[in-house]
Amino acid sequence: MDRPADIVCDALVVGGGAAGVAAAVELCRAGLNVELVEQRPALGGAYYRQPAGGATATRPGSRRARQWSRLLDELRGAGVTPRECHVFLGVDTHGLALLDDRKGGRVRTVRTRAVIVAVGAVERVLPRPGWQLEGVVTAGGLQMLIKESGEAPTGSVLIVGNGPLTVALAADLARLGRPAVAVIEAGDPMTRPSAALRMAAFPGLVAEAAADLTRMHAAGTPWLRGSRLTTITREDGRLLASIEDRNGASRQIRADIVALHDGIRPNHFGLPPTTRDGLVVLHAGDCREALGVSSAEADGRAAAREAVALLSGAAAQRHAPEVTRQRRVQAVLASLFRPIRDDGGLAALPDETVLCRCEGRTVGQLRAMLTEPDPVGAREIKLNGRFGMGPCQGRFCADNVQALVSAVRPASQTVPLSRDRWPARPVLISALAAEEEAREE
Amino acid sequence: MVVVGAGIVGAATCYFLSKRGFRVRLIEAAAPAAAASGAADGAVSVASKRPGPMMTAALAGIALYRQLEQDGLFAGLFKSRPTVMVAENEKEAERLVEHAAALASEGMGLRYFEGGALRRHLPGVAPHVRLAVEVGEEGHAIGYEIVRRLIAASGVTVERGVAVTGLGPKDDGSGATAVRTALGVVEADHVVIAAGGGSAALLGLPHATQPRKGQLVVTERSPALAASLPGSLMSCRYLLSKDAIRVASAETGRRFGLVIDPLRTGQFLIGSTREERDDTGNDHDAVSRLLASAVKLMPALARLRVIRVFAGVRTATRDGLPIVGRMPGFENLLVATGFEGDGICLGPLIGREIARMVAGETTELDLTPFAPGRFELRSLVA
Repeated sequence: MDRPADIVCDALVVGGGAAGVAAAVELCRAGLNVELVEQRPALGGAYYRQPAGGATATRPGSRRARQWSRLLDELRGAGVTPRECHVFLGVDTHGLALLDDRKGGRVRTVRTRAVIVAVGAVERVLPRPGWQLEGVVTAGGLQMLIKESGEAPTGSVLIVGNGPLTVALAADLARLGRPAVAVIEAGDPMTRPSAALRMAAFPGLVAEAAADLTRMHAAGTPWLRGSRLTTITREDGRLLASIEDRNGASRQIRADIVALHDGIRPNHFGLPPTTRDGLVVLHAGDCREALGVSSAEADGRAAAREAVALLSGAAAQRHAPEVTRQRRVQAVLASLFRPIRDDGGLAALPDETVLCRCEGRTVGQLRAMLTEPDPVGAREIKLNGRFGMGPCQGRFCADNVQALVSAVRPASQTVPLSRDRWPARPVLISALAAEEEAREE
Repeated sequence: MVVVGAGIVGAATCYFLSKRGFRVRLIEAAAPAAAASGAADGAVSVASKRPGPMMTAALAGIALYRQLEQDGLFAGLFKSRPTVMVAENEKEAERLVEHAAALASEGMGLRYFEGGALRRHLPGVAPHVRLAVEVGEEGHAIGYEIVRRLIAASGVTVERGVAVTGLGPKDDGSGATAVRTALGVVEADHVVIAAGGGSAALLGLPHATQPRKGQLVVTERSPALAASLPGSLMSCRYLLSKDAIRVASAETGRRFGLVIDPLRTGQFLIGSTREERDDTGNDHDAVSRLLASAVKLMPALARLRVIRVFAGVRTATRDGLPIVGRMPGFENLLVATGFEGDGICLGPLIGREIARMVAGETTELDLTPFAPGRFELRSLVA
């Protein structure tokens, strides 16, 4: 039989951002024995990401910093000691939650009654010809790096994509005295007056956006709206981005780093979807619906209340007015930043565009497979096509593969490139191997 | 012709029948290689066999892989490599010596390694390993790749997602067989059931087969470490594990047969458990124990990362032999199932032999030990 679990608790909260911390606080207050785990060396999540190893904060003394210290005080008051550097790997077929303790170098098993998954959002990045080149990063990833190190990266940065995060990154770079070469934006908020008017209902957001825009502008970073990136190539050791404006005119921009961003979406990758076999599994915050930090905190508390009710056998409903409010905010932002032109999406990408960066599988290879007379299924696309089979196991490509399948074969029912098995992340054999070896039972 | 099941056996049968000019329909309840063929370790190996019909079949199976690779059908899909059986203690060494003697008595070429020679030949294995026996002329093939190639070469379009609900002779006494499916009755001159674990129920062979689950692990790429192994490493406990099953087949316990296989990609495939279950889940307990054994045998594996775990369900039989041949009383109904862990090795061979039977020729391989008549039959016609 199985060995006893390393950790036994009433509830496991995965993710130490706003949603996870708020959920842990509420669960504790309800009298449950709670474990809070965070994969990074410090709590904070994406929004409250903390400087690492003595680096200075990029926005000290801000409203953001005050909100975070209030949440941390609540956590301390509740008596929760978080486990940092613990990566959640999933739930095994015996109902054990698995944590990769990266500091201890061991996988820890957890026997629990409830899991609240609060692992935040992931950045959407659409494939573009050349996006597999070294020096191409994601804008959100670069922002995290800046928050942790307090420094700008070496080399010039071109920011490309869609949505308000690109401007926030440009403002951060300007603040550090290293303004971006340009921000390429597919939408054009200046031509969406009705959406801009609706923004007026959210003054806090308008103030933050205005401050970022002002800073970016003052630093001389051009904001090229209604434009898109068509290809990235490498020339003389630098990246060369081809940009097409709304009239179809092309220009080329050189940079050392190209930071891509196409919005954010909930992170559900490789995570247990729902309650099963008596284990309550709930998702909270941006990994349930990507609505930002204040919604995440409210949803974390609501999820905790839901879990407490479910564990006591009562019916439960998630209720959080702040979530509804932030859903409206995001809807306005989406219309404000709606792309100027329909560029055909994935279906318009040239065959040589890399779709799976781990294994170098291309759009053309997937198209060839999909146009065979035999309608291959999701499992065959993975096994025979080798899409989603590299180290990332589809974390970065599964959605794009899925979207292209739907575009090429609109008639067929969409079969998800499922990823329901642990480990959700690669894990060292030395950490996973048992102290005792295989024996007959 | 109707072939039921698009695993490796059904796909091979479909290919060899098509090649002979028969018009074939390939009916599949899910998708090609959806079950055991798509979750197999890919061993094309005789190393663990004892002299007898399974060893004879495995040798013929390997020879056919080689031939089909040379012919071009399996080009690029068959990796020729030896299996290295290793003994980690005295008991295992004794068992290995005994086993190797049996292999040698069948004329197989073996190489023995001990002491310094073992260290030089297998620099990656742990110092406590006492004896290694290399069985040459074997190989590795990935089940789902072989299935895809066979189906493509047959020119047949798989009828996907079509479940077979029953079988029987045609009413008109013509000797033809009818297959009932969710989409209606399909009549054929010959019907071949190669539906893995679903076969026995269809054929009225209750309890002839049983599911035996195996869990496997895939690592990230490590080409240098993979290249340090001449072939797959097979722990001798694999043999003891097989013995245990033969002694107590009804036992519900879990056994581990460790094989560390370096793949063409530079990844390692590490398997597998033998569990009397039919689910395809992975549990931490099994995987962590399996990996502990792997690291004990090959310490450098510890620094690699696991990127994926999976599980498959083998179709085992009560007596450890597959079920291949004509169903008694049904001239035109054939079966090929129950290969347990040998489907990838034997699939193409059995497909070729079934095609011979259908064509009325004598088979090259003696299939009488595998005849379905050895099991008690329940009437197929309700």
